[in-house]
Parts: sequence; structure tokens; C-alpha cells
Amino acid sequence: MASGNTQSPSARAVVEGFKNGLSRQTVLSLGACVHCGMCNDSCHYYLATGDPQMTPAAKTDKVRKLYKRHVDWLGRVAPAWVGGATLRTDEDLQALQDVVYGSCTMCRRCTLSCPFGVDTALIMRTARGLLTAQGFAPEGVKVVSKDQWEIGNQMGVSKEDYLETLDWLQDELRGDVGDPEAMIPIDKEGAHVLFLVNPREIKYAPMSLLAAAKIFYAAGEDWTMPSVGWDNTNFGLFSGDNKLGAHMGKLAYDQARKLGIGKVVISECGHGFRATKWEAPNWAKEDLPFPMESFLETMVEYVNTGRLTLDPTANPRPVTYHDPCNLARSAGITEEPRFLLKRSCLDFREMTPNRQENFCCTGGGGAMSMSEYAQRRLQVARVKADQIRATGAESVATACHNCIDGLSDLIKHYELKVPVRNVCEYVADALVLPAPAIARDALIPTGLRGKRVLVIDDDPDTVVYLTTLFEDQGLDTVSAHNAAEGMTAARTAQPDLITLDISMPGRSGADVFAKLRSDEVLARIPVVIVTGAIDFRELMYRRNVPPPDGYVAKPIDPELLLMTLRKVLEVRHREGVGSGEGAAV
Amino acid sequence: MPTFTHGEVSIEVDEDGFMQEPEGWNEVVAHALASTEGVDDLTDEHWKVVNYLREYYLQFGVAPMIRKLCKETGFNLKRIYELFPSGPAKGACKVAGLPKPTGCV
Repeated sequence: MASGNTQSPSARAVVEGFKNGLSRQTVLSLGACVHCGMCNDSCHYYLATGDPQMTPAAKTDKVRKLYKRHVDWLGRVAPAWVGGATLRTDEDLQALQDVVYGSCTMCRRCTLSCPFGVDTALIMRTARGLLTAQGFAPEGVKVVSKDQWEIGNQMGVSKEDYLETLDWLQDELRGDVGDPEAMIPIDKEGAHVLFLVNPREIKYAPMSLLAAAKIFYAAGEDWTMPSVGWDNTNFGLFSGDNKLGAHMGKLAYDQARKLGIGKVVISECGHGFRATKWEAPNWAKEDLPFPMESFLETMVEYVNTGRLTLDPTANPRPVTYHDPCNLARSAGITEEPRFLLKRSCLDFREMTPNRQENFCCTGGGGAMSMSEYAQRRLQVARVKADQIRATGAESVATACHNCIDGLSDLIKHYELKVPVRNVCEYVADALVLPAPAIARDALIPTGLRGKRVLVIDDDPDTVVYLTTLFEDQGLDTVSAHNAAEGMTAARTAQPDLITLDISMPGRSGADVFAKLRSDEVLARIPVVIVTGAIDFRELMYRRNVPPPDGYVAKPIDPELLLMTLRKVLEVRHREGVGSGEGAAV
Repeated sequence: MPTFTHGEVSIEVDEDGFMQEPEGWNEVVAHALASTEGVDDLTDEHWKVVNYLREYYLQFGVAPMIRKLCKETGFNLKRIYELFPSGPAKGACKVAGLPKPTGCV
């Protein structure tokens, strides 16, 4: 059409790039919108301002008009009829930049409420990529992208400064855990875990990295940090520049391959996790030989396998959790942080809405690096501030460095006076560090050391709790989650003692107990009942079999339980095998 | 570009409240900026941090690593955050008249 002659070179390049480079998913999202308005109330920009121009449909229409004008068949014939229009001037490009960079954090909350699944963030990223290629991007995004291209990390940290910082943190770690041998290993070949961080942790706020090092130390992990390719963040995701996205991914992947590590663990950064694990392998066209996971997943595994012991009394004040968009909505990580916080804090409170429905921290999509839009960002943060205030929590946990800064800004602006920290910092507070090896061994009562306990309980949390408690006392443990498993394990593992829950699905614990007691071989194994169903106690003792050797009520008092075990095992030891007379407590 | 006014002080700042022209900084400006950071009184300890940030910035054109800041001032991390509740990047750098640090902060 006639537009070609009057277009600025940049506008022409954006339009040509748009026509020729649309992905199938972008076309679907551009074509599917029927302007039904279902997305309006999902967007914090609209909720806080009430401005119809701030609805997701209106904002994406600024890009959609290009689709209507240049791609849609009807629009190519009669553009005005379908709302098609093109970009002509650099002012048009600047106006588009203000929309796609300045009024959307690419949080994808609106996608959940869209009947067609229109991915607004994808539309925004497509437009951002075309604009960025022509130099239309916020200054902060340009600076950070340049640092990632040229220096390999978003804060321009030199290798020397990076290594010196890790050396310093290693000293801090040693002081904190009281072990002069504690390490932050660098480039350790063949390590099980390669840990990648957000440069914010190196340059300004290393508390989360120190917490992570403590957790790795407590879990006895074989871990390392890379000397290059350590930045898990990726501004390619925000600026739409797939080449930068691939470059940042490759820096990390190449080092991981070179070191021959077992798995890559990504520190608590929402977009860093999404970019490194899910997006950059595609941008870099890489088929990677190692798995990648969020540090949240790693910590959960440590707790579940008894490698970490947590004491929630370390964090007694009310805490809430903010779900980062890139973890909850884009990567499905919602339960891991809750699992960890509930075990590290006494008073955990949900924010409403939460998980995939949570509102953005308002700093997503690279917004924290765009000062030009800071006032609008703080204005629309009212939605988030109200949400935090309603929890009554005295501190906020989140699993994203960008969220920490976004939330800290709005908390200051709306005078909420609550600190924001990473999940791993709460976990590190609650760590029960192993006592030095010799002293610990000496503390274990001889009656317990080396004995094997079978834990039968249908609640996985109780199993983890009990096995951890017992192993800390030098006991060997085996666990079973139902009656059938319990009977099998009693036969195969030859335990010295069994702890048994009586209310389990399927055959009840009481039946298991009767069966154990009636079995010629198994009858001699002492059984301690551990249950919340205290009313069943009488039934248990009324059975026509020798009574249990001990009885401990839930919620479990660990001291009482251990004392019961010790008594039972010591009595057994003195009497030899076979007594039914135990130490019922 | 917004103008930040506090008492006699009137300076150009960016949308995040950081100074646009760091050469216009002086002690009176520092007091004015500190008021926006919940720091009512600048003590000798605050000045130690602020002066180091300023010197480093004038020499190298960027904010120093937290490691250098701790080493040169002798304060540990916790103390820095007590002095400047918004932290070294957004709190201390702002009071010292540095432009906003780059990146996700």
C-alpha cells in the first residue's frame, strides 16, 4: 500500500520483521482475541487505574493492528474495517515502546482468564524484539543487554571481582557454621551440583547466596560454582532478543558440559529459572546432557531425604509468600516454597489470591531496570500492596530476586514496613546444623546406636520427620507408608523396633499390630504405637495379644518418643529377646 | 524529568528518585536524599559508607561491589542494611548521589 514511501526506516524494519517473523503461537494469540473483556480484571494496570487503555486487550491491540493490517487477509484488502493500521514514524515506535515495555510486565495473569489462552506476554515480547532491534528500548534494558553480551553478566561484574566475592563469602560461611573447612568450591570437575546465581547476589545482596552455601554445607552436597557462565538471568527474555537469549544460555551450558557436572541448580530467580531451563535451550538449539532444576526443588529433596533438619521456631513471626510469575504461572513451581516455608516458619499465611492466580510483584519483564516507567509501576502497585497488607504478615518470602526488588520498592512507597527475603534465607535461619562429628557421636546413647527402626505411617511428612529424628540419634531407619508395605518391610528389613501409626487407609494399623504379634517370627519385634487417634488406645490393649511396648500420641513430642524408644531397646537388650513387657508411656 | 525538592534543596532526579547530575551533590543534598530513605540522621557511620561510595564512583564511574564496600568501611553486611534499610544499591547509592545502579534492582 501507500504507506511504504512515508515510513521511517526503523518503522519499515519493524513492520517487515513483523510480517516475516511471526511464530505460530504469536499468530494464534493475535488472531484469537474477540475483545470479550474477560481479561480486564486480571491486570493490575487496569485494576489500579480503571483506564480502559490499560486492559490487556487494548494493549495488545497496539500490536494486533499490525497483524490486522499486514497479515490478516481481510485487513490486507480493507484494513479500516478490521482495525488494521501500520507504523509510520519513529514517534509511532516510541508510543509502541511505551505500551509494550511500559505498561505490561509480561506476568501472563491475563492468559489464565482468557477463554482462548491468548498469550499477552508473547505478543509483547514479539513487539519488544522488533523494537529493540531498531534501538527502541528503555536505556536500562540496553545497558544490561550490553553487559550480558560483552562481560557475560547483567551487572558488568569482572571475573576478578566475582572470585574475590566468593572467597569473602567462603570466609563468612566458615564463621557462620563454625567449620574452617567449609567451602564454596569453584569449577570443581564432576561435582554433583553446579549452582548458577543472579548477579544481584554477587554485586549487592549476597545474603541469599550465603544462605544457599550454608544449606549445601548442611546437606553435605558435592557442589560447585562456575568461574564463567554463572549468571542465570537472561535479558533476552525481556527484550525479545533471541540471540542474546541463546548467548547467555550457552555461556552456562558450555561451562556445565566442560566441568561434567551432574545437574544445574538455578538460584531463586524467576525469569532466570524460566530462561535457563525452558527457553534458552531452544534459542541456543541445544540438546543438553544434564538436568536443570530450581534451588527450591533441591531444598525440598534435601528435607525429604533427611539431609536437612529444620527448626521452625527460628522464624516465629507471621510470614507470607509471594508467587513469582515465572515460577508459578510459567513453570508450575508453587508447592515447593510452601513445603519449605511451613517447615521453616511457625506462622505461614497465604496471600490471596495465590499460586498461579497471584498478582505480579510489578517489577516483572525487566521493569526494575526501566526508570522511565517507575512512577506508573508504583501507581499500579497499589493492587499488590493491598494484597500484602491483608495478610497481616510481618515479612514476605519470595523466590525471585526481581520480585524482592519490585516488592521492596512498593513496600517503601505504600509504607507497609515489612522486609522481603528469599525462601532459602528462611530455610537457612531454621537449619539445625550437624554438631561436629566426634562430639555428635559421643552424644548418641549406646542403647540406640546402630539399631534399626521400621517407621510405618501413611503420612509422608511424619515418615520424614521420624526417620530424620531417629537418624540424628544414630539409628538406622526403614520406612513404609501403608499396612501391606509395613508387613513386608517387617519381614525383610529385620528391624529392632517398629513405630506404627494405627489409623491408616486399607487395613488399619491395629490389624497390622495384631498380625505382627501373632506371627511366630515377628512377634518378638517391639512395637511402639505413634498415633493421633488416642481413642483407639483402649482397643489396642483389649486385643488378645501382648500389648504394645510403647504408646506415644501425636503431635509427637520428640523427647518423649526418644525416651520411649531408648527404654524399650534397653529393656530388650537386658532381657535378651522376646519380652512383651515394655515401657508403655 | 522530575524535580526533587526538600527544604532548600532542589535537584533533578530520575523516576526512581536517583540524582541525574551527580556532580551537583553535596552534604546538604545527601541529607535531603536520606530523608526519602528512612534515614533521619546521618551519623559518622553513614558518612563512612556514603563517602566511600562517592569516591569509588568518581574514580570508576560505577558503584562498587558490596564486598569492597564492606572491606573498605569495616562494616559487615548486616550493619550496612541497618544503616540503609533499602540496601547498598537502592539506599546508600541514592544518598551518595550516584545514578541508579543498572540491572534487576
